[in-house]
Amino acid sequence: MAITYMETQPANLEWKKGSAELLILSLVEHRPRHGYEISKLIEQRSGGAVRFHVASLYPLLYRLERRGWLQGRWVEKDGQRRRRYYRLTPAGRKVLAAQRRDWRLFVEAIGRVAELDHA
Amino acid sequence: MPDWKEEIARRLAPLGLGPEREAEIAEELAQHLEGRFEDALAAGAPEAAARSAAMAELSDESLLARGLRRVERSGTENLDAPVKAGRLGFLSGAWRDFRYGVRKLARSPGFAAAAILTLALGIGASTAIFSVVDAVLLRPLPYPNPQQLVRVWEQAPNGRRMNLADPNFDDFRAQNRTLAALAGYSGVWPVSVAGGSEPVRANVAAVSRDFFRVLGRQPFLGRSFAADELRVNGVRATIASYGYWREYLGAARDLSRVRLAMNGNLYSVVGVMPPGFDFPPGAALWIAREADPEIPGRTAHNWRGLGRLRDGATLEQARADLDTIARRIRAEYGKQADLAGAAVVPLAEATVGDVRAALLALFGAVLLLFLVACANVAGLLLARTSARRKELAVRAALGAGRGRLVRQLLAESLELAVAGGVLGIAIAMGITHLLPAVLPADLPGQKGIAINATVLLFTLAATLAVAAGLGLVAAWRAGGADVSDALGAGSRSYTSGSQWARRTLVAGEIAATLVILAGAGVLGRSFLNLLSVSPGFRGQDLMILKFSPPPSASSLRFAEKSPRQIAREVQFLDEALARLRAIPGAQSAALTGGLAVADAEGFPDGTFLILQGQSVPANYDQWIRMAQNPKNTGHADYCVASGEYFRTLGISLIRGRIFDAQDGLDAPNVALISETLARQRWPHEDPIGQTIYFGNMDSNSKPLTIVGIVGDTRAEGLDQPPSPIVYVDFRQRGLSVNVSPAFVLRTSLPASAIVPAARAVFHALDPNIPVQISTYAEALGGWLAERRALALLASVFAGAALVLAAVGLYGLVAHSVARRTQEIGIRMALGAQRGDVLLAVVGEGARLAAIGVAIGLAASLAATRLLSSMLFEVKAADRLTLSVVAALLSAVALLASYIPARRALRIDPIVALRQE
Repeated sequence: MAITYMETQPANLEWKKGSAELLILSLVEHRPRHGYEISKLIEQRSGGAVRFHVASLYPLLYRLERRGWLQGRWVEKDGQRRRRYYRLTPAGRKVLAAQRRDWRLFVEAIGRVAELDHA
Repeated sequence: MPDWKEEIARRLAPLGLGPEREAEIAEELAQHLEGRFEDALAAGAPEAAARSAAMAELSDESLLARGLRRVERSGTENLDAPVKAGRLGFLSGAWRDFRYGVRKLARSPGFAAAAILTLALGIGASTAIFSVVDAVLLRPLPYPNPQQLVRVWEQAPNGRRMNLADPNFDDFRAQNRTLAALAGYSGVWPVSVAGGSEPVRANVAAVSRDFFRVLGRQPFLGRSFAADELRVNGVRATIASYGYWREYLGAARDLSRVRLAMNGNLYSVVGVMPPGFDFPPGAALWIAREADPEIPGRTAHNWRGLGRLRDGATLEQARADLDTIARRIRAEYGKQADLAGAAVVPLAEATVGDVRAALLALFGAVLLLFLVACANVAGLLLARTSARRKELAVRAALGAGRGRLVRQLLAESLELAVAGGVLGIAIAMGITHLLPAVLPADLPGQKGIAINATVLLFTLAATLAVAAGLGLVAAWRAGGADVSDALGAGSRSYTSGSQWARRTLVAGEIAATLVILAGAGVLGRSFLNLLSVSPGFRGQDLMILKFSPPPSASSLRFAEKSPRQIAREVQFLDEALARLRAIPGAQSAALTGGLAVADAEGFPDGTFLILQGQSVPANYDQWIRMAQNPKNTGHADYCVASGEYFRTLGISLIRGRIFDAQDGLDAPNVALISETLARQRWPHEDPIGQTIYFGNMDSNSKPLTIVGIVGDTRAEGLDQPPSPIVYVDFRQRGLSVNVSPAFVLRTSLPASAIVPAARAVFHALDPNIPVQISTYAEALGGWLAERRALALLASVFAGAALVLAAVGLYGLVAHSVARRTQEIGIRMALGAQRGDVLLAVVGEGARLAAIGVAIGLAASLAATRLLSSMLFEVKAADRLTLSVVAALLSAVALLASYIPARRALRIDPIVALRQE
């Protein structure tokens, strides 16, 4: 069901939305993270090339959560205020795998096309 | 540190999230912003720069809301999933709309409360009145095939309906071809009944042999009358009502030993009618009419006719059939019969009688009130819809289709209507509990008033109609919302269509209110007229003690009494009078055979002969012959009374003398006549000294010599002209079943001080005599109850409508002032005088009021005409009433406009101009 979503969207939307989703899902693959952490990691790892504002990051997080790909939970750690951590759900893991595959295919295709063009 | 949460909350506000969810999001996002802020500080940025870096996260004002809107609105569903087709999709959509609507309403509790309460008031009042209409007018009579049941009357040449005389009844019964059965029955009359668990004054009705068959109901225990019980000198038998059987016969299954003493006879109880059987209304015991001899006269209209149409026969056929028989009787017996035709009316219609018009008028009033309430809520909704145009436009821009928005608005109005309906039912239940105190006690079908399935169906229909109406009004306005228009304009965007619609609604409200006010006005005036009519006596400080004569003192219906019997009765009554008079606080005590006004049908009336020297007719035929000459006859109410009656009630003696000691049992029987009778019958001569002869009015057929003339009373009701009355002395005539005797007591102490002593008097005399004590004022109140109920309920509705219309007008003008704050500010800045502003604002309300009042006046002229049958000495189109209500309504309307106008005057031009 989760996959069908991607198949029913127009391609250009898929690219943008899909990329953001892939980034977020990847970042929480191995451990839960809170929103600010996710946003910092995206910024750091992309060398500042990709940035999410609060206004776009959180609606996306909530949407992934509503879809059942992420699970958010308030966690209290000693001496700190509680924070909301997002964890990948089994459904999210499948989506992540599928998206990774699609991306790989997509990037390879782009690469091939680009090389052909260079030639 | 900046207050991130406040910044975030401001951006979340348009979403209308639940408070918890909003707080949660704000907390999470605030932490993010704070993290960004602190990291920037840590990296060495100055505080201001760190702050802008964090704020940049929120990006432009509406982005966050736009991003969250679709996610948050979906609940746990996937909003982006393609809309599921079919019923489930619709249902989940409807559920979504429902929840969204609840949230929206919860966010404006003031609006929701005002709308729901207004609707509840309208729905509650109309449901309550509908429950009365349902019980009294709509519910079929509780008999098999009730549409076949008809009341039958003889009809006088002037069209007046008369009960059936014995020989005419027999002819109708034997000769008709359209009725499956025809029965005669008497009205109920109170009788002392001993032999049950305690002596009581119970209502008895005499019914003819086919009575129960006509109604299609039989005793559930025992049987109906047997042949032996249906003849003169046969076995005396009675059938008990379920209530009497339960209460006084201990619900005994074995009736064989049960005997009841009534009218000096012992009756076996042979049957018990099932619960709910109540015809004629109030009857506790039924006895066979055939047990008493028939009265041979064709003008002695004693029996109410009740028939059942033959299968396949129509009402018209029955009418024609009985009419033919009536004309045949007239042709055959000439002046011995006074009928010219027959009237046949469905029982349901006959039972309800005058009440129908009154109830329908009331229902009309309450429906108008309901419309006013709806118009008010529609006005509120319109104001709100214009205020929400921006929101709706944003939603439309975000992809919500027009159908989706309309559905959303419908869901909201459905929620309002349902909430109003539920609360309305609660209100209606409250009202139906209070109604018995207001409604006349003799309203037919009153016991059945309840919020039952039919009534709830009505409420449901009303609620759904309101929901659809309001939703469409809102949707119609919302549909006109142009996105760029709405977004571009300020919050006070002028929406002329919406204002126009609200004005129409308010003018309509004012018109409807005027109609209700006018109706209540003429009914109220009619009621006041009645109250101001003097009954002909002083009703204050009078107590009434209704009683049934002790069984031993009573006798057979209409059988002649012996002087010894009369003497025994008189002795008993005199003793009672003496003891009552001795009660401290009792000024005088008297006996009467009927209660003037209070018991309007309590007096028998009849034709008398003026003997003028002739001797008393020897037999009925001679009576008929003598009565042929109209100069020899008169017609009057017949009232048995004691001499003290006139002083006790304050009825003046005009000429002659009152009954006194010389009028003994053996002396010539005397009579007093009322002034009206003297004027009517003896306009040019002196009635005193005339001898009149009634025949058998009270088990006593001695002629009467007129010895005095007394003042008039409106015995038959305050709305009737003073009655011609012949008073006779109880000490000469005794009592009969034809009178409803009562003692009247003029007191100088409050009733509560007298009642126990009066009860003790009766108990000491004969513990078997049931007595019913009330004040005359209470008894009069009973007579006025119907008119009072009508006037009272109409006034309550009128008051409610007035308040609603005032609130509606106030809301409109206040909204308009708020909308025009800037304009008014500019005008004032440019030098407009306070008076000009006041005039402009009040003028808006006044124009609407004028239009509404004009329409309302025109409608009132038509509407109040429907009330004319219920009015006393006031015309339906009463100019005074209409002027007063129009003035009242205009004054209230001006006041409702003046309050917001004063607010307009306080507008500070500077502040107004600074806005937006």
